[in-house]
This record gives sequence, C-alpha cells and structure tokens, in this order.
Amino acid sequence: MIFVIDDDRLMAECVAKAVDQVGFQTQIFSNAIEAMNEISAGNLPAMIFLDILLTGPDGFAFLNEMVSYNDTAKIPVVIVSSLRFSEKDLDSYDVVGVLNKETMRPEEIIQYAEKYAK
Amino acid sequence: MEEVNGILVAAYELKAPLAVLRQLALSLSFDGLSVEDKKVQEEMVGVSERALKQINDLMKVPRLEESLFPMEPVAVRAVCDDAVNEITSLFRAGELEIKYQNRSRLVFANRELLASVIYNFLTNAMHYVGRGAKAEMVVKERDGRVRVTIRDFGPALPMNTWREIKAELISGPKSVAMRPGSSGLGLYIASKFAKYMDAKVGAVRHRDGTSFFVDLPVSKQMDIWSAI
Repeated sequence: MIFVIDDDRLMAECVAKAVDQVGFQTQIFSNAIEAMNEISAGNLPAMIFLDILLTGPDGFAFLNEMVSYNDTAKIPVVIVSSLRFSEKDLDSYDVVGVLNKETMRPEEIIQYAEKYAK
Repeated sequence: MEEVNGILVAAYELKAPLAVLRQLALSLSFDGLSVEDKKVQEEMVGVSERALKQINDLMKVPRLEESLFPMEPVAVRAVCDDAVNEITSLFRAGELEIKYQNRSRLVFANRELLASVIYNFLTNAMHYVGRGAKAEMVVKERDGRVRVTIRDFGPALPMNTWREIKAELISGPKSVAMRPGSSGLGLYIASKFAKYMDAKVGAVRHRDGTSFFVDLPVSKQMDIWSAI
C-alpha cells in the first residue's frame, strides 16, 4: 500500500493514477492527521508521497512524527511540492526523493514507486 | 509594498491550479490517446508549463530589489541555446532561424534572468509563426555590447507601446490589443530583469512585425581573456 497525502484532491489523484499503472494500491489522505491515525491503527504503508503545505499540521510535522517511532522511521517518503528544499532541510528524515509539482512527470512517480514500494 | 505582496499571493495561488492542470493533462496518457488527442494533450501541457514559468518569473520581480540574483560572466550563446532547446517543441522545422554573427561572448549578467528575457521574447515570437511566417534570433556584438534580437512577423507593435519601451517607461503589464496572444506581461518582466542587469530592452517596429532586443554589456573578464 502506498499513501498519498495531499490536500489538493486532484493532484493526489494524479499521483495515485500514475502509481496504479504499475499495480500498486494507494490510499489518499487530505491531511497529515488522517494519515497518522491510519498508521496508528496498524496500516503501515510501503512508501509515502507527501505534500508539504497541508491544511492543519504540515508535511514536516508529519515527518517529525514518522521519525519519532521505530516502526515508521524507515518508511521511504517522496516529497511532492512546489517548494524548494536544501539537503539540510531533509537530512533528518528518510526522504528518498523530491518531486516538483510544476515539473514532475508520471514516469518519475512510477520510478519511485517501483524502486521503494516493492 | 502591499501591492507587491498582493501580486505575490495571487501569483502563488495561480501556480497550484496550473500545476494540477498540467498533471491532469499528463495523466491522460494512461487512457490511450489518438494521435490528434495526443497533440491536444501536448498543447495543454505546454500552455500550463509556459504559464507556470511566467508566474515564477513574475514572482522574481519583487526579489530584484533585494539583489538576490548574482551578476557574473555568462556565455550568451549558451544561454540562447538553452532557451531555444527549452522552447524548440513550439516551433516546427524552419520556423525559427538562429544567426550567431560573432564568436561566443561572455556578457555580464545573471544567467537565470537573461534566460528568462530570451525565453519571453521567443514565446512572444512563437505566437506569430506558421503559414510561412517564421521567427529569427540574431546574436551580434556591437560597440562593446552584445545584442540578442528576436524578430517576429506578427502585427506591428502599437506606437504607444513602442514609445514606452523606447523611453523605458514600462511600469506594469499592459494588454497589447493590436497583438493578439500578447498580454504584455512578458515584456514587463523582461524589462525589469534587463534593468537589474544594467541591460537595455528595446523594440524595432517593422511593417510586417517587430524585433525585440536586449543589449548586454560585454564582461570585463572577456577583455582579460582577449588580452592573453
């Protein structure tokens, strides 16, 4: 299972649609709290596509939660955002990639899914 | 300042839906498109990408006052080549002619801003190609400056707009009614970027189109290399 966390439903569906092409199942969340609740209930994703500017707690709050628990600290996360990040911004987390919403292509989304969700 | 902040907020708000439109268009590929539909899809992606680029450029304008764009020696021909490569899919074969009349020069500029100026002029020219009309880009050195000219064969530039460009009075985007497809935003951005780089943007009216140019100072580093 791959989680897609984005408060922009259409963008989240685009990411999910790309991942669906290679047979992965996805679950979409519109905020970080819903996703954390799902994880707390025992549904651990194989990887996560995460937007940063979310309604409510932002993507970094979500990442902080992830690294603070042993069972979620190593779940690969790909950030999907229009913001720019430095290595220093991300080196505390298990972020395996950053996709720019303005330039990313479905093939890149698929590549990340095939590499990290299997 | 409030107005600038308002523009920034509006620009930022516009980016998200454009990025979604672009992604939705790309997602259509999964549904198996006919050749005709594929062309429409490519147009949708291209239009979204150009609009996003223009918004990103617009968001740079207020940052010019903070001098956040370093000036350095820049190979003008390489920047032109990059801009052409970025936009090449918009021109069909033979619709864009490129003439480099001197060997490559280093100019004193900011590479990112210069690339945007050239890209803006090229996208403007793109509106008027087809049906035998083409666009031309000429890079030429003259009097210690390098001039990059992009000539189009669209409707003649309105006299009042031309006067504003000549007097460097472009204070904001203006609709250029006699030039369909042009909002004037690209010209506004180009003039702001040029001013920051101590370059000059200008236009020459032709009866069958317009040439937009940017004059850039040759880098002093070039002189040092020439002396060796």
